[in-house]
Amino acid sequence: MKKYKAYLLPFLLLCMLLSSCSANRLSAYKKSKALLDTFVTITVVAASQDMADKAIEDAFDIIEKFGDLVNFYSDKSELSAINRNAGIREVRVSPETLDIIEKALFVSEKSGGAFDPTIGPEIKLWDFLKKVKPSDAEIRKNLPLVNYKNIIIDRTKSTVFLSRRNMLLDLGGIAKGFAADLAVQSLKQKGISSGLVAVAGDIKAFGLKPDKKPWIVGIKNPRQKSNDDEIIARVPLSDKAISTSGDYERYFIMDGKRFHHLLIPKSGYPANTCQSVSVIADQGVMTDAFSTAFFVLGPERGLGLAKEMGMDVMIIDSKGALHTTPGLQGKLTIERNH
Amino acid sequence: MKETIKNTTLADRLLFLLLISLSIAGIFISRDALSQGSDVIIEINGKPSYTLPLYSDRLLSVSGPHGNTLIETKGGKVRVKEAHCRNQICVKEGWISKGVIVCLPNKLVIIVGGSKKDQQQGIDAITG
Repeated sequence: MKKYKAYLLPFLLLCMLLSSCSANRLSAYKKSKALLDTFVTITVVAASQDMADKAIEDAFDIIEKFGDLVNFYSDKSELSAINRNAGIREVRVSPETLDIIEKALFVSEKSGGAFDPTIGPEIKLWDFLKKVKPSDAEIRKNLPLVNYKNIIIDRTKSTVFLSRRNMLLDLGGIAKGFAADLAVQSLKQKGISSGLVAVAGDIKAFGLKPDKKPWIVGIKNPRQKSNDDEIIARVPLSDKAISTSGDYERYFIMDGKRFHHLLIPKSGYPANTCQSVSVIADQGVMTDAFSTAFFVLGPERGLGLAKEMGMDVMIIDSKGALHTTPGLQGKLTIERNH
Repeated sequence: MKETIKNTTLADRLLFLLLISLSIAGIFISRDALSQGSDVIIEINGKPSYTLPLYSDRLLSVSGPHGNTLIETKGGKVRVKEAHCRNQICVKEGWISKGVIVCLPNKLVIIVGGSKKDQQQGIDAITG
């Protein structure tokens, strides 16, 4: 009997080890796909690879279909139809297109025009790769075309009309966050109770990870010098979205001055009081658009509006100083190398 | 052999089991630790098709629906040097040392590794 007892404990340990590898436990599954002219990564917590794959593929399809509606560069998109008919006639659009334009208008109103989806005619004057800075006259000439108040929506007819010729609606500052919301909604409908959707840097998390901890999102360092200081801070996220706008994505330096893609709609020139702005809120569509709005408003007015809107914000100002709303205190971990 | 097993104590056997478990775990741990994301992975039609070392000077031509796309690695960075797609979004991305360049018309994705490093840091995604 004693002889058998000696083998019993190792045998039990081995059983425990094998059972811990069982396939039916909840695990995280991750897939990526090129969509919306960027890279979308979806992670879900599921009981099996099959369940995860099906839910993720369905979410990718939803994002792709939405992307086809609002693709700025495709002649076939509803967005292009709206732009082609600027100053000519109203265009009938799908509920998703109408919804995102209405949300863009909400952010424009709330931010007093700091976020403006009609910024297209100014953006197209710049080429950040070839370091093309438009002349003052060119910038001034296109300014009258930038005004969100000239977007006319008729909800009953589901139509959109840009009231001036040559206006250009560009939903690039809001579409990725909206897509993250759509993907999360689809995953939940497929029975997934926890996951993370990252449409480039626009991220939405729901539920908890398999270890019952919140998802952790790293915030990019706007002045990264090496591979070791890519992240400036990290924040736990659950049932919230986060987006960041920074002056380091599309930019060039000329005569010691940084010119980037986050333009002030009222002047046509890049906003220069922030390096990056990260926003946390319930909806990705709001974090995406408000990160641009707060960037343009600058640290003081940005933080003020964020508090008013009940959003958490981390702003790195033009001198590299970090500002946060009180809600982020105790949640944000600043990396050691900052 | 039987004699040797008979002469072992329970503690010996436990130690033996522990050592086997540790060596099996070691295979997986070292596999993760060694991958530092210094490769450029090129996906075509969603499938990984090429892997280039990031820290080397290379030019790679990849064919797609819009002709050949020229990818260049140099000094720890990668870029799309030439492409024949309409909007040239991939070319306009310029050099990157981390992250992704996407050319939707050519169904091409260029990924600079690093996800393993992020996982080691306990980060699930990066915003910015």
